Amino acid sequence: MRKKALTIHSSRGGTGKTVIATNLAAIYAVKGVNVALLDLDFRAPSLVDVFSKGISGPVKHWLNDFLDGRCRAEQALIDVSEAYGLRGKLLLGLANPAIEAIRNMMEKSRAWEVTAVKRLFSLRSMLFDAMDVDCCILDTSPGVQYTSVNAVVSSDIAVAVATLDSLDLKGLETMLAELYDAFAKRSVVLINKVFPETRVWSSDEQTDLIDKMEKTLKHPVIGIIPCYCDVLQAKRNSLLAVDKPYHPFLRDLEKVAEKLDGIKEIDREEHVLAE
Amino acid sequence: MGKAEQSTLKEELLAKLVDELTLVNRKLSLLIELNENMLKMQEKFLHMSSEKTSFDRELKLAPDVMTLLSLPPALRKTAMVLLKLDKATAEDLARETKRLRPVESAYANQLVRMGYISKKREGREVYFYIESPMEIRK
Repeated sequence: MRKKALTIHSSRGGTGKTVIATNLAAIYAVKGVNVALLDLDFRAPSLVDVFSKGISGPVKHWLNDFLDGRCRAEQALIDVSEAYGLRGKLLLGLANPAIEAIRNMMEKSRAWEVTAVKRLFSLRSMLFDAMDVDCCILDTSPGVQYTSVNAVVSSDIAVAVATLDSLDLKGLETMLAELYDAFAKRSVVLINKVFPETRVWSSDEQTDLIDKMEKTLKHPVIGIIPCYCDVLQAKRNSLLAVDKPYHPFLRDLEKVAEKLDGIKEIDREEHVLAE
Repeated sequence: MGKAEQSTLKEELLAKLVDELTLVNRKLSLLIELNENMLKMQEKFLHMSSEKTSFDRELKLAPDVMTLLSLPPALRKTAMVLLKLDKATAEDLARETKRLRPVESAYANQLVRMGYISKKREGREVYFYIESPMEIRK
């Protein structure tokens, strides 16, 4: 597997980024791929709750500490693969959910953000070169904020998650053109929480919807995932890929994972065209 | 007019001249003093404005991701690669961007002139790098 860093991003909140990021990471780790999952949503940290069953004892170092230069990268990573019985490694970099830590992250200066993006690049190199990680997934906060843009800049592929909500799609169009394309990032769209009828659609009907979306967004759509009520209502600390491995949501997400594996970084010709 | 009268007149004129010269001298001293004060103020102002420039420069020295968005695409790519590599020669940059080395050298030097990045010589190599304005200010 080609080593890659994926940023899971969206223009608005509530598109299902975290459910997708966590289960995508688990799908890869179940297959034996070594994964690092980083919570870059410092305003609304959630991975610490999602993986609470696998984290033993209090968290000593957060991703916040690493970006602040208060700990080494390996200290800010927690391996939960054994706790979930995964074949591959699953390393977590958690955002601190304490109000004081959130407030602190919101007050960071522009200068700090330069150091932060450099630290993200160094973390990425360390994960790939020294810690044998094959895939790094960055779960970000929605919209155009420093941490989410830092994540997009430091990753290879940006996965933009959107629902069919018109405001969501409008924001996505802007983000694709003015953010991802500006940074010459390979970016793909994943439509989530689509009306449940699509579950019984024929492949032609699904292809039609994808074509329509690709024409509007001018970017590849790598999947359309229907809305599953039980996924929405699942407990916060439930990891579907482990708890309900045969759930249809995971089948859809596995197809997405396969498509992501087939994506290459933007090649030289495209770089030249992008200029 | 007799000789004595002429002499008195000369003396009077000389005394008047001395008075006038003393007055001019006093005025000149005042002007010099004023000028010195103005120079001091100018110096103070220049010092203050240079302090402001270095403050602006410090801010400018931080090519954060939002600043990158405001750069022309060609320069943006060089700056992005430099964020990734931390420190690089024009050749290192060219390897990453898949552009020619002289092209990268020109772009990197342009970024240096704009104040976004710095360069230093180490032996025969010239390295470009992004300074962390303060490792962690806040």
